[in-house]
Amino acid sequence: MRADLSGGATHDVVVVGAGVAGALLAKRLTTAGLRVLVLEAGPETPWSFEGYARHLDSFFAATSKGAESAWPPAVGAPQPDSRDVRSGDGYFVQRGPQPYGSTYTRAQGGSTLHWLGVSLRMLPEDFALRSRYGVGRDWPLDYQTLEPYYRQAELEIGVAADVADQTYHGIEFAPGYDYPMQRIPQSYSDLTLAAAVDGMETTIGDSPISVRIRSYPAARNSIPRNGFRPVGAVDARTDGQALARDLGQRCAGNTACTPICPIQAKYNAGKSLAQADRSRLQVLAQAVASKILVDAGSGLVQGVEYKRYDDPRSARHAVHVARARVYVLAAHAVENAKLMLASGLLGTSGMVGRNLMDHPSIYGWGLAPTPVGAFRGPQSTSGIDDARSGAFRSQHAAFRVDIGNDGWRATTGAPDTTVTEAVNQGLYGVELLTHLRTRLSRQVRFSLNVEQLASPDNRVTIDPQFIDPLGNPRPVIHYDIDDYSLAGMAAAKRFYQAVFARAGIDDRSDPATGVWFPTVTYEGEEFHYHGMGHFAGTHIMGDDSSTSVVDVDQRSWEHRNLFLVGSGSFPSMGTSNPTLTLAALALRTADQLETGLRG
Amino acid sequence: MTMTLDRLKALLDAAVKLELATIPPYLCALYSVHPGPNVEAVMVIRSVVVEEMLHMVLAGNVLNAIGGAPRVSGPENAPRYPHELPDGVIVDLLPFSAAAVESFLQVENPDYKADQSADDHLAPRRQTRHAAHVLGVDDPPTTIGAFYAEIIDGLKELTAQLGEETVFCGDPARQISGDYYYASGGAPVVVTNLTSACATLEEVIEQGEGEVSSAFDADDDLAHYYRFEQLKYGRRYHSGDGVGVPTGPPVDVDYTAVYPMLPNLRLDEVHDPDLRAVVEAANQQWSLVLIQIDAAFDGSPSMLIPAVHTMFRLRDAMLVLLANPLPGHGTYHAGPTFQWLDPAAPSPATLVTAKASS
Repeated sequence: MRADLSGGATHDVVVVGAGVAGALLAKRLTTAGLRVLVLEAGPETPWSFEGYARHLDSFFAATSKGAESAWPPAVGAPQPDSRDVRSGDGYFVQRGPQPYGSTYTRAQGGSTLHWLGVSLRMLPEDFALRSRYGVGRDWPLDYQTLEPYYRQAELEIGVAADVADQTYHGIEFAPGYDYPMQRIPQSYSDLTLAAAVDGMETTIGDSPISVRIRSYPAARNSIPRNGFRPVGAVDARTDGQALARDLGQRCAGNTACTPICPIQAKYNAGKSLAQADRSRLQVLAQAVASKILVDAGSGLVQGVEYKRYDDPRSARHAVHVARARVYVLAAHAVENAKLMLASGLLGTSGMVGRNLMDHPSIYGWGLAPTPVGAFRGPQSTSGIDDARSGAFRSQHAAFRVDIGNDGWRATTGAPDTTVTEAVNQGLYGVELLTHLRTRLSRQVRFSLNVEQLASPDNRVTIDPQFIDPLGNPRPVIHYDIDDYSLAGMAAAKRFYQAVFARAGIDDRSDPATGVWFPTVTYEGEEFHYHGMGHFAGTHIMGDDSSTSVVDVDQRSWEHRNLFLVGSGSFPSMGTSNPTLTLAALALRTADQLETGLRG
Repeated sequence: MTMTLDRLKALLDAAVKLELATIPPYLCALYSVHPGPNVEAVMVIRSVVVEEMLHMVLAGNVLNAIGGAPRVSGPENAPRYPHELPDGVIVDLLPFSAAAVESFLQVENPDYKADQSADDHLAPRRQTRHAAHVLGVDDPPTTIGAFYAEIIDGLKELTAQLGEETVFCGDPARQISGDYYYASGGAPVVVTNLTSACATLEEVIEQGEGEVSSAFDADDDLAHYYRFEQLKYGRRYHSGDGVGVPTGPPVDVDYTAVYPMLPNLRLDEVHDPDLRAVVEAANQQWSLVLIQIDAAFDGSPSMLIPAVHTMFRLRDAMLVLLANPLPGHGTYHAGPTFQWLDPAAPSPATLVTAKASS
């Protein structure tokens, strides 16, 4: 180990993390003439076309096709794995009382490498939860302030949707605006379900709900609008051999968004990074930020210490320091908090690492009365958004429904398990084929994603006892699901049962025969919940330094040349997948940085 | 020969058919490769075949712009193999092989002298040749280069004589734009006048042969001819390399990791009923694609969306054929025949079932 701790600033901005927030900042700032160094903890393999193909091979070869199957971690940058939730001995040190069920990816491109691509805006009311419903926390900015940045984020990421479908629950768009690409066509399954249940009236709490199967905005390439050019696969070869960039200019419905889009029709952060001004961008992969160096007097950051490893299979590394004028942590909600804590930067509010959120979710699965063509198209193309808003939010959590096109894959391990089960029943030949054809094509899956409020007790901490192979702390997670979310979960369950009943779907949800998930109990009823990968809240934003970690610009209250970006800044998450909102926030911060650094 | 609007239309119609005719041979090579090895070769062939699809659309846009109507479907319009080009180059349906690469080099660069030794086993499979449509035009050009040169000169000459509005009288609604056409080395150009027409055709020429003096074009893309040279020489071109002397990293080419498809297979040579049904299914999907392309050229560009589904079904059928030995032909495997077969005819599967039960 050799430490190079001297030297002046080589860049204007150091960005820690090459996920979606870091990549968007790198693109914006380099384009604006600033010199940017990006430190990425994981390997850079996903960024080259050949490297991406190797990840595809990992996916093909894996017997279990979980979210991590395409993205094996480096020794020096370990990551949580879905399988560890049950065993409890993974990267996360789970302190309970409930296990935190979500995971993320440490590689160049971050978790956008294996996201589903759902790019919902938050509802205007989600920004004012406390004022409106008397629960949770308000944001220091409102929907109207963020709206222009939502538009920018939709353009940068390349979101396919029709404004006509997305104007609900108070969501407004700038006049004349529409998404850069037309919506991804709804699946046959969606249309079949819509024919059965659209217009169905039900109640949640005292709120009347009219059900509609609705297309959602997706970061997957589709038919462009207004001359937008869909961005396909990342292939940055400079020798005229970038033959792969023709791939993925439209979604081809490979039903593998998670864990890896085989043709890169789905957005990943590598696309934004590839659009940065390369003459001003330096990306150092396999460089794990380990400590933020702060001047005790001024509180200003003077450098970021990082550990660089050459071999992803080894913990051998050297220690360096990166210096710039401004520092941005875009390493992920958990990693940002962990890095602050490891650097002794606890802040006056004591909120670093606290208010960890997710969308604890339950599954409902069943057999449709007629074939709906499961296992075709993107993993999902529609949802039900009607339970995201309502007076009931003062009593219990809102929820959103994702409607799968991938049968019971996530809930029971279908189609493989469906085959095994049939063979074990003694079926073979034509009889087996007929059975599979009629069964698999009728499989329906709902995922009901339940809102969770910020609670200081749900938190990431560190403990010198638990370190990773590079000597960096592992995240120690304290997590519980409160009655507000549990009551929402119960409402979500009753809701899907009503929808299934209306559609004639035979409810086959049976945790005993499904994939294992952790359980919670509410009013005597047991729920099996899974994480959505929607981490938030660990460096919460606010307008008061005594109760928040960052200000409205995601700038650290105590360290004025330090920014913490990402969903860690969210005071609340509502029922939206966080990526589009964190991208919009990152672009807003990029604007502030650009003005500040050039001025 | 005097240039007339009719001759120009005949030449452009032949251009559409010429670009189309190059596609099946590339698809045979592409899909005959075993999964796994030959990664670079697959990327090269794929990158070229999608650009040929673009070229066909570009030529179609020019023809539509001057009031013509591109036609690729029907027994008289669909290509037939082995297919003879104006300069005597014969295009075959071959698996990925040294002979296929030699043939691709020749297609992309008429001055290239193919290595005849790779050709020997092909002779008996080339006894019936089918002339390219351009050879059916009165007083046909003798090379592909002369062919496109005559079109460009003709466009300029007629525009000068008759005026741009008279020549470019086509309905703009018949142009295929980037909305429905994608992923092919660039977006299609909507052709409305002489400038866009010439730019379009020059793009076709540039992507194919490239500059004589340089492997890279103005966009720093490697022309098709040089992409195939990389497979021949087993080495990549580097920016700045001299023509014929690639100095980049090695390219792994393994001609043994390929399904040994019988060259230029014809339907009447397939006697196994199961294989025959798949050959017919492939031919119906191919014919359906051609019908959908014609509809797209006829002012319904959104027909290219169902055409994508048809192409996937064609690929699936091809993969079944290529993976199966062809009874009666030694170690050879089956393959697609790319013959016109009316998709509205009773489905081959039904015929097979009916026969089996009678």
